[in-house]
Amino acid sequence: MSHSGKAYIAGIYEHPTRRADHLTTAQLHAEVALGALADAGLRLEDVDGYFCGADAPGLGALTMAEYIGLNRLRHVDSTESGGSAYLLHVMHAAQAIAAGQCDVALITMADRPLAAGTGTRLAGVDRNTLPNLPFMAPSPPMPMYGYAMVAQRHMHDYGTRPEDLAWVRVAASHHAQHNPHAVHRQVVTVEDVLASSIVADPLHRLDCCVMTDGGGAIVMVRPEIARRLKRPLVNVRGAGSAVQHSQGGEINLTHSAARHSGAQAFAQAGVHPRDIRYASIYDSFTITVIVQLEDLGFCAKGEGGRFVADGNLISGQGRLPFNTDGGGLCNNHPGNKGGMTKILEAVRQCRGEAHPAVQVPDHSLVLANGIGGSLAGMHAAGTLILEAQ
Amino acid sequence: MNSPKRPDKSTSAPAPAAFDAPFWEAAREGRLLLRHCPACQRLHHYPRPHCPFCGHASTEWREVSGHGHVHASTRVERAPRPTAPAIVELAEGPRISSAVLDADVHALRIGDPVQVRFVPGEGGALALAFTTPQAEAARRYSRAARAALGQPDAAAAQAAQALQHAAVIGAGHMGSGIALALLAGGLQVVLIDPKDEALQGARERMTQALSDEVTRGRLSASDMADRLQRLRTGSGLPDAAGAQLVIEAVFEDMALKQSVFAELDRIVGPDALLASNTSTLDVGAIAAATAHPERVLGLHFFNPAQRMRLVEVVRAPSTGAPALDLARALVQRLGKVPVVVGICHGFVGNRLMITREREAARLLLEGALPEQIDRVQRQFGLPMGTFELQDMAGGIALTYHARRKAGQSDWLIEQLFARGRLGLRAGKGYYRYEPGQRRPMPDPEVRALIEQASAEAGVQRRRIGDDEIRDRLFLLMINEGTRLIEEGMVERPSDIDVVWQLGYGWPDWKGGPMYHADQLGLAQVQARLQALQAAHGERFAPSAQLARCVREGRSLTSHTS
Repeated sequence: MSHSGKAYIAGIYEHPTRRADHLTTAQLHAEVALGALADAGLRLEDVDGYFCGADAPGLGALTMAEYIGLNRLRHVDSTESGGSAYLLHVMHAAQAIAAGQCDVALITMADRPLAAGTGTRLAGVDRNTLPNLPFMAPSPPMPMYGYAMVAQRHMHDYGTRPEDLAWVRVAASHHAQHNPHAVHRQVVTVEDVLASSIVADPLHRLDCCVMTDGGGAIVMVRPEIARRLKRPLVNVRGAGSAVQHSQGGEINLTHSAARHSGAQAFAQAGVHPRDIRYASIYDSFTITVIVQLEDLGFCAKGEGGRFVADGNLISGQGRLPFNTDGGGLCNNHPGNKGGMTKILEAVRQCRGEAHPAVQVPDHSLVLANGIGGSLAGMHAAGTLILEAQ
Repeated sequence: MNSPKRPDKSTSAPAPAAFDAPFWEAAREGRLLLRHCPACQRLHHYPRPHCPFCGHASTEWREVSGHGHVHASTRVERAPRPTAPAIVELAEGPRISSAVLDADVHALRIGDPVQVRFVPGEGGALALAFTTPQAEAARRYSRAARAALGQPDAAAAQAAQALQHAAVIGAGHMGSGIALALLAGGLQVVLIDPKDEALQGARERMTQALSDEVTRGRLSASDMADRLQRLRTGSGLPDAAGAQLVIEAVFEDMALKQSVFAELDRIVGPDALLASNTSTLDVGAIAAATAHPERVLGLHFFNPAQRMRLVEVVRAPSTGAPALDLARALVQRLGKVPVVVGICHGFVGNRLMITREREAARLLLEGALPEQIDRVQRQFGLPMGTFELQDMAGGIALTYHARRKAGQSDWLIEQLFARGRLGLRAGKGYYRYEPGQRRPMPDPEVRALIEQASAEAGVQRRRIGDDEIRDRLFLLMINEGTRLIEEGMVERPSDIDVVWQLGYGWPDWKGGPMYHADQLGLAQVQARLQALQAAHGERFAPSAQLARCVREGRSLTSHTS
């Protein structure tokens, strides 16, 4: 069922903090909620649908509804799929609005792993209840090892080079220089990336995203409400989601669930990858971007390395500008869940409100894609195709 | 709906009746079980009662080969044991997300064969992991090398068990460590030093070391009390009267040691064993100061003596067989491993280490930096590199004093010493250290000093590749090892490997320098040494022993395994 034209993104907000020493996670949720509503020109009492991850404090969505002050809720959804959850939330919100289950949907995400000292662990994830816990490797359960193996296998199967991976970071750094909130604003070169220390062979330190506190929020509304508001119209033209896991022994390192979420979203939108002028691509690591670009159809499988090389992802220079806010690699990665910020920059591009230095000229169709979980193991992909109207 | 954010009480609930018990029973025997579906004939890991492929309600255990190959792998940097997170594709098909452990993880490539190896994991439970066939072979060799040391005869073992009274002369770090080792072996110990404050300090150190063990749960409080109760101190050599065993650990000075041994020889009974802990002096010359040189030998403990398992038992030409056997049996009684060595500078272990350190210093002058040289050694498989080790052990001060004593000068060492760069404890040495951190950080000041040292020595610095560093350090050690064999300093080549495993952390999955030489192929070792000889000088000239082995097509260690 297509929901194109039946639900619009009307408000967005990104929290400027990168380290929330003096804010609680609940406060962050409330601040981004108010920020996105103000952007839309709506008020708390307008909200009748609420979405957040299962990592939200307390009893999740219910506690947040009470804390924020959402008193008219008819619809609630705590879909949790790690970093991609918010792409799924936008899809679910569009479906709910199209089905008449709510008129104004609010999506919030916030976390403070730096201030809380919880590292790369996802809030709300209890490792001790994993059914495969006794069978897990006696090695540190850190995400970078899985992604390093994806990179190694991709290099082995397709001849992808460390330099290719480095180009992803280089492009992100070119964009981040224009973002005053970005953690890393320094423009780097391929040589800089390759000279940074190896953290998990073949990944260098600069192949890895930042770790930050923060959050963001999105407000989605029915078309009639959207047209009444004074903000540019951003239509959710296509959306898709898919899950992949290790299948009891059929681990596939080089192909992600984005193959299926992307195909769904493109089919629903009735467009092709070549129609997309800007893409927000989940960038937990540089290799993550290469695998998604292939799986989404921007290039053939195995050609992602060559596709990203030579600045092809740099706005104003390459064929497919990506993550023009600096992305997770340079800007922020609140709560180790980069899906929200991917959507926010895609909406800015779609509205024509990205930084002038990185705004793409033709922004009629943009894409956002997220991977939650781990590429090397279980993960969910979410794809959104947004249209400026 | 349950909140995922509730306090962690739920996680401590007991697991339901263990469906996977057969898996772990097999694991204890090193066998790997998967689940097989009778309906769709497919295998799955991790085990579930139902089939995750076709949904059939019940599956059955099936033993698989445990062999497979690397589908992908990476590496944990600076892990306490070599760890390569890996996806292993079993010969039977399924891919398992696991890790390759205790193997040469730097050399691991896609497609390399691996085999299952269950290891103790958290809380004593087994964890599923893999290792390489090469690492398994090296571990088999390492066990054989240990077994080849043999056992002292039954009479010596009995005599060692009967020893009750020991004396340790010198209450420095080595002396107090040796005293702790003897106490742990159940002996009564008198620790002798003329200086009261030295005895006081030793007692404090020993008490602290024991209470640390208690804190870590390795020792009971009553055992600690028992050990301290068996410790006495004394201020003069006459306090050693009645000791059946005396270990001397005074300052490294021949005249001093000779006078100590001459006096001890008169104080203790005629059957008592007299041992020196010297690491550099001629034990034969020390023995010659006594009237009973046949009962004098060296017992070279490694620091910290209470923990390090290696003891080089130094045999002087005058040492009698009964004394040697008794010493070996005593070392075994202390839970340590005795390796009999002959008299030469540095004996077996330090002689190879000094060879390596000298070459590392030359590499610094020629263009390498400490972090590069150390990285090459870690990637080779050693727990740490030369310069990290020297920073930990206070090697800069040791070298400074040794050079001064020998009347040699070393510009770089003098500069480091003068700047208080004495190592980890000073917060700076060859590296700098953040307060409270043990991780070595490259230091621009050291780099500048090294570059200046090159200029002082008139050496044009050049880029030195990792391969050259590895060859120059390790082939030189191998060559020196073959000289030890040639000179009869070891009873068998594999003893050198035992020394380097237990004394210097050479990993058992890599065997040791002599085993490594055999793996490279001795002809290859000889050829590479000759090339280095042509480029860098005579110190690389292959030893006669090595040349003979190559000529005769013999290996150094093959008979051991």
